[in-house]
Amino acid sequence: MTDTALRPRSTGRLMIIGFLSPTVILLLFMVAYPIFSLIYYSFHNFSALRPNEPMTWAGLDNYTYLLSDNDIWARFVFTGKFVFLCVSMQMIVGIFVGYQLQKTFRGRDVLFTALMLPMMLSPVVAGFLWRYMLNSEWGVVNYLLTVVGMDKVDWLGQSTAALWAAAVVDTWMWTPFIVLLATAAFRGIPETIYEAAEVDGASPAYLFFRITLPMSAPVLFIALILRLIDSFKQYDLFFALTGGGPGSSTETVSFAVAKTAFSYFYTGEASALAMILLCIIMGLAMILVRHLSKMGEHD
Amino acid sequence: MSAARNKAIDHLGRWLLLGLLLIYTVYNLGPILWLMISSLKGRADLFAMPPTWIFTPDLTGYQSVFGVGAARESASSFGVFDSLVNSVIVSSVGTTLAVLLGTLAGYVCSRFDFRGKGDFLFFVLSTRMLPPVAVLVFYHIMFAKLGLADTRTGLVLISVFANVGLATWIMKGFFDSVPREVEQIAIVSGYSRLYAFRHLVLPMVKGGIAATAGFCFIFAWNEFAFSSILTTTQAKTLPVKISTASGATGIEWTQICAAGVVLIIPVLIFFYLIRKHLLMGMTFGVLGRS
Repeated sequence: MTDTALRPRSTGRLMIIGFLSPTVILLLFMVAYPIFSLIYYSFHNFSALRPNEPMTWAGLDNYTYLLSDNDIWARFVFTGKFVFLCVSMQMIVGIFVGYQLQKTFRGRDVLFTALMLPMMLSPVVAGFLWRYMLNSEWGVVNYLLTVVGMDKVDWLGQSTAALWAAAVVDTWMWTPFIVLLATAAFRGIPETIYEAAEVDGASPAYLFFRITLPMSAPVLFIALILRLIDSFKQYDLFFALTGGGPGSSTETVSFAVAKTAFSYFYTGEASALAMILLCIIMGLAMILVRHLSKMGEHD
Repeated sequence: MSAARNKAIDHLGRWLLLGLLLIYTVYNLGPILWLMISSLKGRADLFAMPPTWIFTPDLTGYQSVFGVGAARESASSFGVFDSLVNSVIVSSVGTTLAVLLGTLAGYVCSRFDFRGKGDFLFFVLSTRMLPPVAVLVFYHIMFAKLGLADTRTGLVLISVFANVGLATWIMKGFFDSVPREVEQIAIVSGYSRLYAFRHLVLPMVKGGIAATAGFCFIFAWNEFAFSSILTTTQAKTLPVKISTASGATGIEWTQICAAGVVLIIPVLIFFYLIRKHLLMGMTFGVLGRS
C-alpha cells in the first residue's frame, strides 16, 4: 500500500508517465498492434508475397480450412504428445532431483548451480549438440548403447524415436527449471512440520507424499503451467534438432505457422493458425494468473 | 522385522538415490562437456567410432568462427565471424535499452499505485508467454515496409521488446526490496523525487541492475526464432548462422561445435554473475515472494 508521501501528486504523476510511457508505447506497438493485425489477417485472403493486392474478406474460411485439414490436426497431435511426454518427464525428474538436493552434502551448492546450466543455453546449440550426439552412425549416444550391449537406434530417422529424442532433449534443457522452482518450494516448508511427523514415526515416503508434495503444490503448479506454455510453443529446438523431419512428423504447431507464413506465404491461413495457438496459450496463461492471484490472497 | 535389516534397507535406498542423482548429473552436464571436447576435434576424430578420447587438438573450428588462420579463405568458412559481431552488437545494445526501460518502469510499478497497474504488469508478463511465430507473421510484413528487415536496428528493436518485460519485473522486485523511507527522508529533506531516484535509490540497486542485464543478455544472445525469420544475409546472428551451417559437404560439425562453445562462454560468465537471482529471473518474478 502506498503511504501519503508517495501518493501520485503532480510530480509523481509526471514521473509515472515519463517512466512508463516508453515501455507502454513499445509494447503496444510490438505486441498489441501485431495481434490485432493478426486477427484482421486471419479473416482475409492475404499473402505477404503480394502486399499491394487488396485483401479479400474470407470470413471463417481460414479457420474452417485449418480445422478440416488432417495435416494440421497431425501437428496438434504431435505437439500434444511432445508436451505430455517432455513435461511429465521434467516434472518427475525435476521434483526428484530437487528433493535430493534438499539434503545437505559437501559441494551441494556448486552442483546445484552447475545443474542449472542447460536451461541457459541457446535452444539452437542444444538442438545441434544433441543432433550430433544422436547421430545413428557415429553419435556418442548410440556408442554408449552398444557399450551396454543394446542395438543402435536411428534416433532422428523414425518419427517415434524422433519424438522421444526431442522430449529427451527438452527434458535435458528444462528439468533444471523444475529443480529450481521445486527447491524454492521445498525450502518454504517449515522444518517443524517434518520434525513433528518424524516424532510420530512417519516414513520418508510418507513425509514426501503427504507433506512435501502437497505443501509445495502451488509452486509446482506454476512450474507446470509455465512449462506447458513453453513446450507448447516450442520451435527453435525442432528447427535445430530434427528440422521437422523425418518427413513432417516432428513439426509442432509453431513450426507449421512459420512454414505456412514464411515458406508458402499463405499469410491469412498462418494468421488463423497463429490465433488458434495464441488462444490455447492465453488459456493456459489465464489459469496461471488466476492461480497466482489466489496464492496472493493466501499470503 | 529387525532394526538391523531396516537399517540395511535405509542404507541401500540412500545409495540408490545417490546413484540416480549421479546419473542425472552425467545426463545434465555430459553433453556440455562433450560439446567442448568435440569443438577441439579434427574431422577424423569427430566422426570416429568408437569416439576418441585422446586426440591432437584441432583449432580449425575456432579459426573459422573468428575468421583467422587457414579457414579464412577456405570455402567451408561461412562468415561466422560477421554473425558473431552482429550477435555482440544486437545483444549488448538491446540489453542496455531493455534494462534502461525496465528500470524506469520497474521503479514506477514498485513505488506508485496507479490505475491499470495490475493490467500493465499482466500485459508485461504475457509477453513472456507469447509464441514468437504469432507476432512474427506481422513483423515480417512490417519490417519489410519500414526497411528494417535484415538490419541490426530491427533486431535491436526485437531484442528490447522481448526483454523489457523481464527487465521490468525483475527490477520491480529489486526496487521492492529498497525501503520507501529512503525517498520519504529525501523528500522531507527538500530533495526532489527524481533526485532521490537517481542519487539514492539507483545506487542501492546496482547489483540488481547487473543481474537484470545478465538475464537480458543471455536471452538476447540466445534468441533464435525472431532473428532467423527477420534476417537473410547481413544481420544474421550467431545462432541463426549456426542453423544454416550445412554446406556442400553436409553439416559443418567442426564449426558448429566451435560456434556452440563461443555461444556458451558469455552465457557461462553471465550465468556465474546472476546465479543468486536465478529464481527471480527464470520465473519473471512470479515467485518473487518466496
